[in-house]
This record gives sequence, C-alpha cells and structure tokens, in this order.
Amino acid sequence: MVAPAASPAAPAPASTVPLKRRRAKADDGVITVGRSRAGTILANAAGVVFSVLMLFPVYWVLNTAFKPADEVLALEPTFWPTSPTLDNFISAFKAPLFLKDMLNGVIVTLLAVAGALVVGFLGALSIARFSFYGRKAIILVVLVVQLIPFLSLLIPLFLMLQSADLTNSLIGVSITYLVLILPYTVWTLRGFISGIPRELDEAALIDGCTRAQVFWRIILPLTGPGLVATSVYGFIQAWNEFIIINTLNSPDKQNLMAWLLQNQTTRGTAWGPLMAGAIITSIPVVIFFLIIQRNIATGLTAGAVKG
Amino acid sequence: MKRKIAAAAAIAATLLGAAACGSNDEDAPTTSASGKVDGTGKTLKVWLMVDAQTAWKGVVDDASKRFTAATGAQVNVEYQQWANHLTKLDATLAGSDVPDVVELGNTEFPKYVFSGAFGAVNPADYENSGSWLQGLKGACDFEGKTYCVPYYAGARVLIYRTDLLKKAGFTEAPKTYDEFLSVADKVQAAEKANSKFGAVYMPGQYWYAAMSWVKSSGGEIAKQDGDKWVGQLSTPQSIEGLQKWVDLVKKYSKADPTKNENDQANTFAQGTAAMFYGNAWEQGSAEETKKDPNDPNSKLVPTKVKGKLAAAPMPEIPSFLGGSNLGITEKSQNKELAAQWVKAFTDSTSMAGLVKANALPNATALLDKAAADNPKIAPAALAAKNSWFPPNAEKWADVEKGAILQTMLTDVLTGKKSVADGAKWADDQINSTLNES
Amino acid sequence: MSVVDSPATRRPNDPGRSQQNRTPGHAAPKRRPRGSGRTPWLLALPALLLIAGLLGYPLVRMVVLSFQNMRLRELLSGRTPPWVGFDQYTRVLSDNVFWAVVGRTVAFTFVSVLISVLVGLGIALLMRRVSRGVRLFMVVAMMFVWALPQLVAAQIFRWMTDSDFGVVNYLIDLLPGVDYQNHSWFVNPWQGWSVITTLVVWAGIPFLAITLNAGLTQVPKELLEAATVDGATPWQALRNIILPILKPLIMIVTTLSVIWNFGLFTQAWVLRDGHPEPQFQTLATYSYTQAFGQSRYSLGSAIAVITVLLMLGVMIFYIRQMFRIGEVD
Repeated sequence: MVAPAASPAAPAPASTVPLKRRRAKADDGVITVGRSRAGTILANAAGVVFSVLMLFPVYWVLNTAFKPADEVLALEPTFWPTSPTLDNFISAFKAPLFLKDMLNGVIVTLLAVAGALVVGFLGALSIARFSFYGRKAIILVVLVVQLIPFLSLLIPLFLMLQSADLTNSLIGVSITYLVLILPYTVWTLRGFISGIPRELDEAALIDGCTRAQVFWRIILPLTGPGLVATSVYGFIQAWNEFIIINTLNSPDKQNLMAWLLQNQTTRGTAWGPLMAGAIITSIPVVIFFLIIQRNIATGLTAGAVKG
Repeated sequence: MKRKIAAAAAIAATLLGAAACGSNDEDAPTTSASGKVDGTGKTLKVWLMVDAQTAWKGVVDDASKRFTAATGAQVNVEYQQWANHLTKLDATLAGSDVPDVVELGNTEFPKYVFSGAFGAVNPADYENSGSWLQGLKGACDFEGKTYCVPYYAGARVLIYRTDLLKKAGFTEAPKTYDEFLSVADKVQAAEKANSKFGAVYMPGQYWYAAMSWVKSSGGEIAKQDGDKWVGQLSTPQSIEGLQKWVDLVKKYSKADPTKNENDQANTFAQGTAAMFYGNAWEQGSAEETKKDPNDPNSKLVPTKVKGKLAAAPMPEIPSFLGGSNLGITEKSQNKELAAQWVKAFTDSTSMAGLVKANALPNATALLDKAAADNPKIAPAALAAKNSWFPPNAEKWADVEKGAILQTMLTDVLTGKKSVADGAKWADDQINSTLNES
Repeated sequence: MSVVDSPATRRPNDPGRSQQNRTPGHAAPKRRPRGSGRTPWLLALPALLLIAGLLGYPLVRMVVLSFQNMRLRELLSGRTPPWVGFDQYTRVLSDNVFWAVVGRTVAFTFVSVLISVLVGLGIALLMRRVSRGVRLFMVVAMMFVWALPQLVAAQIFRWMTDSDFGVVNYLIDLLPGVDYQNHSWFVNPWQGWSVITTLVVWAGIPFLAITLNAGLTQVPKELLEAATVDGATPWQALRNIILPILKPLIMIVTTLSVIWNFGLFTQAWVLRDGHPEPQFQTLATYSYTQAFGQSRYSLGSAIAVITVLLMLGVMIFYIRQMFRIGEVD
C-alpha cells in the first residue's frame, strides 16, 4: 500500500486499520463500483497521462541541468541534452558557500522540526488529554496565530533577536522557524493524540501504570506516525524559507534557498547551475520522504494495539 | 568568542572616539580619512554588492590588504544580492550591530542619505574627488555636505553586430540618430526571412533606456518646484522622446515587453538582433560566457556572436549613468577606520583595477586614461561624459521600487495605454510618491 | 491539519456505527481527567512562551506600529514615530488600489482552491480505480512535485514560460497556424494569472490528492458493494456515499488551501522577477512592497492587520468548526 504510506501530512494513523483489514483479504483496495476491463484501461491511461503532465516540469529541470551552457540558452529548446554534462552540478558544488549553506539548511531545519515536535507534543498533550481552565483560550490562540502573515513581523522580529544577540546565528533562525511551524504542529498532534482511545489510558491506569508510564508506553508509541506525518509540514516550511534567513543572517549562515537567489544577479540568470542547484536542493526533501515512508510502516505495526 | 572581542573593541572604540573628538554636539560631524588610524585588533565590516565578487574580487582584496598594512585592522567583506538587499539593510541599520561601509546603487542613495543612515565624509580626503562623476556624487549631496563616496559607474552604449551592419552596407557605427534608424531599417529588411529577428533588442521594462530617449528630446522625469516635485513626463518634450522610443521598440524589437534588461546580453548572443543598448561590459557577456558562472576565474566559452561585436556611443541619446557609491554608516563604531578603507578602495590604484574589469572609474579625470587603457570601455567612457541622472529626490528609490516607470512602459508598448495616457498616469504616481510626507 | 481528528480518526474504531457520520464513536467527552492542577499548564508552557515571545510580541509591535507613522528615518534612529491614530487604516481602506488587490487576492484564492480541490479529488478517485503499478507511478510523480521547494518550482515555471527561451512557447508554436514565438505571458493579466494559477494548482495537487486518497481508503467497501447491488450508478455512489463520508476531510484540506493560497507570495514574486506589476500584486506582495519597498512600515503593518482580520472573517466558520472538534474530544 504505497499511497497512504506516502501521504505524510495525511491521516496516516487513521488509514491503518482498514488497510490491514483489506490486505488480509488480499484485496488491492480498488473501489469496485462500475468496474470494467475497458474502464480500468481507460483509468490507467488517464493516470499515466496525469503523471506525465505532473512530471513535465521536473523533467525540464533535469533536462536543463544536464545541458552545457550554450545548449541551455537555445531559441529552439532540445528535449534531450545532446552533449550531457555534469558541469552545472560541479559548478554548484564548487560555488562558494553552497555546501556550507546546504549544511546550514539541514541543521536549521532539523533543529526547528525537532524542537517543534517536542514542544508541540507537550502542548498537544495538554489540550488533548486534560481539561482545565484556559484550555479554550489556548486552542483559540493556536488556531488564530496560523493566520498571521509572518513577513509583516520581520522588523520587530529582527530587532528582538538582535537584542538577544541571536541574529546572524543558526540558533536564532532555528527558533524562529520553530515558532513558525509550532501552531500547526500543536494542532495536528492534538488530533493524533485525541485519536488514541482514552480507554487505553484508563485500562493502563487501572493496571497500575503511572501517568508517566501511560505516556511512554501508550501515547508516545501510538502517536509515532502522527509525529512523522506532522514533521513533513514543518520540514517543508523550514527548508523552503528564504526571506527571514536572508534578512537575519549573513550569506555564510543562510540556507540553500537563499543561496539559489544568488543566481539571479544583474548579470543575467545562470539557468543551468540554477536548475542543478534546484535539483540538489530538492534531494534532501526526497530523502526525507523516503525515510518517512519506512517510519510510517513501522508506525503501522505499533498502531496495532488500536484495532 | 570572536563576537565578544568585536563587541569589546566596539565599546573601546566608542570611548576612544569620544575622547578624541572632545565634543560630539555638532549636527553632522564629518568623518576624516586623512592621517593615520590605528585599527589593530579591530575588524571592519563591509557590505558590497555581488558584482564586486563576480567581476573584481581581486581589487577588493588588494585594497583590503593595503588597508590592513596601513592600519592593522582586518576587513570582513560580505557580498549582498541585489534581490532583497534593501530589506536586509533596513532591518540591520535599525539595530546596533551595523556594517561600517555599505555599497548601494547610486539611485538608492538619496533615500538613505535623507533619512540619516550615513555619516558625512570630507571629499578632499579622497583621490580624484575634484572630478567625481556628477551622476554618482549627486546622490551623496544633502544640505551642503557629502554623505557617500562614488565607487564605480556604468554608461550605456550601442552594441552592434559588425557582420550584419556590413552586410547591410555600413562599415562603421551610426553617427546620428537618423542614421541609426536607417541601419535598423536595412538590417531588418536583410534578415526578413528570420521570423525571430528584430534589428534592435530592447526589452519593454528597460526604463533606463526609455528615459534616455526622453532626455534626448529635452524631456525630464520630474523637477523640483519649491519644495515640491512635479512629474514632467507629460510635457511635450518628454512625450516626444517617449514616442520616439516606443516607435523604435515597436518597429524593430522582438524583445519581451514585460522583461527588463538583466538578461539582454544572453538573449542578444543568440543572434536574433543586430543592435542593443547596454553597459560596456555587456559586450563581453554577449561574446563569451563563463563555463562555470559561479567561478570568477572560469574558462570563457565563445558564443555565436563572438568576434562580431563592437560598441559606440548611442548617437544623440544621453546615457543614464548607473553605478554605486559607498557610504559610512552613521551608527558605525569605526568611522575613521571605515573612511580609510573607502579611501583605499576608491583610490587611483583600485580604479585602475576596476577599469580592467570593464567598469568605469568614479571620476571624469580618470575617464580618458580608462578609455586609453581598456579599449573595450572607450565608448562607455565617452558616453559617460554626456550622461544624466534621475531626480535627486528623497523618495526616488520608491519610484523605482514601485515599478512605476516599468509598468507604464509595458502598458504603452502593449497598447493598453496611449503614450499620453501612460505619461499622465506615471506623472500622477510620481507626484504622489515623491511628495508623500 | 486537523484532517486527522475528523471522522477519519474515529471511524476506524467502529466502522459499523459511524456510517451516518454523526457524532464520533466514543461520545463521552467528559472523560478527560479533571482538576489535574498544574500539569496541563506545565505541558503547554514551553509552546505558549515561544508563541508569546516570538509571535505575540512582534505582533503587538506590529499593531502598535500601525497606529504610528514609521518611515525609514524613524526606523534608523530608533526614535518613537509620531502617533497618527487610525490614519493608516483610513488611508488603506479608502485606497482603490488596495481594494483591487483584495478583490484580486480573493478571486485568485477562490479559483485556485476550487480547481485544486476538484482536480485533487478527481485524481484521488482515479488512484482508487487504476492498477497498482499505475498508482505507484502516480504517487512517485506526485512525490517529486511535492519535494520541489516553492522557490524552485516558481523558478522552473519562470524558465518554462520565458518569452525567448521557454519551452511552453516553443511547444505551442509547433501547433499549426499558431504563432507563439516570443509570446510574453505577462502582458495580459489573465494569461499571467493562468500561469500563476497553474503553478499553484500543480504544486498543490500532491498534497490534496494523496490526502484525499488516504481518506477514500476509509470508505467502507461493503457499503459501496451494497450500493452497486441496489443498482446505484458510480455517480450516485460518489454523491451519496463517498462525498458525505469525505466531507469533513474535504472541508479541512480546502480550508488549508485557502490559507495557503490567500497568502500567495513567492510564486507571484519570482514569476514577476521580484517586481510584480500592479495587476500581479496580491495582499502579501502588496503589504511587503509597501512596508519594505516603499519604507511605509506603518502602512504595511496596517495592511497586515487588515489582512488578518479579513482572514478571520473568512475563516470564522472554520475556526468555529475546529473549536468544536477541539472541544469535543
């Protein structure tokens, strides 16, 4: 079942149970209404056409990235590099600060996502599992802050971080990104935690578990897939951001997105290296998606208790 | 750790500075660049635009080396991207940890000078200051003082295909505007078979060009009337120039009316045009591209038009003088030191280095020598002598940022507005932008 | 992303009962431990502190700023800008340009979200219908698109629609009788916006299709089989069985798309090479241009405040709904 596993931001835990059920019946999960051979062929054709259309821009990036400079700028574009070259990739890797900014991006993103998951998980636990005065207010805050256009906060944010000596530092950006993705993380994790039947907690408590044990043995493992799914959004947000990091930090402390902007100078856009850089920039995300896919699979087994 | 040292040094410098000057009461104390400054243990923070990194990093390094030898201070140069650089500058200057020296485009300067971002300098301390290019220096002047130092300039020239002109019967560059038009006519007729060919490549949002045509017929963008600015684009002279430019573009250009000039050399290198209006160094960019654009020392690869280009001043069209200046930030804790670095970076030695990299030096006194040393920029050096500069108004940069002229040009070229309507609209926008309190 | 707490999460626990999609399975909202004293606050504290510090404080500064008149001079000197009361707001609200921007942003949001959700749903349904191999191909294709950073995706579209070197013009020009050489896509705002919308929809489909597909796996097969036996057409099955079950999920992904597309910035910014013409300004780019391009920081703040209020107005329904969900479990 590739599809649900590949749906990081999607209701992963939700889909687990029925999937298993279907798999047990050795069914491929295809909706059977109005099914016919001709229909399937037609559907398959449509699916392939759709995928090809979706992939066209991706193919065009690859095509451009492997072309030598004089072939990139051609009035009649060729659909295959006639003399493929790795020059654009070498150029990107050799370029000043490319590797450094890539590393910065990875560090900042991981710090932000990890931080948001820890802090967000605790917050989510609070509003999902406890009833207390002020809970409504917290929920309202978490919902409303998602609507704030972050760019308009740039200057106050900058001044504040500077007075804390956190501009031009990876920590400052990490914290900013953490907060940027926190409300969403809290809200999503809250959903995952609520999805765990409270009966489980209660049963465990009756069996003599402490609150902490309930947390470690039941809630945390069962929210695993949720944590992974939630991290996708955070990862994409933090990895893609470039205006804040460009404003807060000097070039040696920026990320790959900010680095990519460099290719747009007053001296014309270098499309070849830009596209090569774009591919390299996307690779960490693809890798992340691949890792996630595995983790969700493990999360599925852990979720077995649920059924 | 390094940070702490820098902070301590900054505090020390403040204390020393206060002690040395005695009184700081003056409204705008002028920073002197004369005499010796001991900067041992200090690091100067310099923001240059990325062009310096791609085209003349050697000049920067050499000036810094000489500066370090003279003062003992280190230099930390940070290269900025044009995209988004003002946002970053605004936020940074609002804080306390500011760069000591900042490069900005000459048209961006007045806004910052008027807002008190830069400290006053003493022009006499800098080499060739007597003949600084007016187009650069104008942006530094405010209430009788000078707030920045001209750095380099670029003037726009006519770059043309010698082979195509020869084919059409011309062996040298046109000397008058009419001749220029007849060259365009003949070349266009000769290449009729090629549907992608347009005699002149002129992107639609190339406002530096359009305004040069406006200037050529005696027009103006805006002028000061008392303490108000008044848009002048709908005056008959301006309209005449604008119309002249629009006619040219419509008849001879196949360029995108919504593009600006940033990519014009690359596009011209495809061989689908005979002439374009560009900076001197754009001739080089059109003839050769760097094999690795990220590597300043990369091998050069010839394009389709290699060896077929020449440049000359655009006949009867005064050139927009673009370029950059260097300012010493008002909040800098190392103003005297900063002045020393600027002095080294703008002296005749550095200017000679810039000339080698196909940029124009900052002073008219150096233009003739530049033309003799580097024939590639000779036409530009000539053009720089007949150049113009946008209104020296506090809010001029906002006109540029608001894309007022660019939008107007696209609208006129695509027939959305008539020339007169477009000019009127732009005047209204310019008036409200420049006179906003 | 509260996708998860909608029926999706609950139904699996008792698929039989919740077909009506009424109140969630375990209808015992009061079972939450009560009176746990400080524990919930301690748990929420780090999140609240961070939000208060890095979002709340700048937000307050922004609101304060919108009642002042801060220009570059005040920004640089650190002096308190003059107080101007509601001047910035009256200025924004009485400006036709602003309302044009609002109208454009709303129209774009509506159209782009509508197309994205419809196509996303269509693809999700298609994914349930195709063979396994094709489905894998579709997922892989969408993963690649999803993995492309926004900035990169926008650059690709700029490159593909370039008037001189773009492959789009080249391909269209190949059609007989069509001259698309040197065609500029951003002369005509309708064409320009179709490029932007295509980009946004293309980039948004993976999230929507994959999420909705996951939701579709929740539709009980028995129900569909029963419907077929009763002679329901596929269309009827879709309308009467699938859509009602997916409705909460669709509502949530739609809302998220609205929030994202309403804040359109990077795509318009990159496709217009960092200087969007008036006809390509959205609320986000307009506020940014006013604040940073023109150094009207206070005006930009006022626009941002109005934007938040507008969003709140549009989202009030969503928030109420979410609030209810958050309340119930």
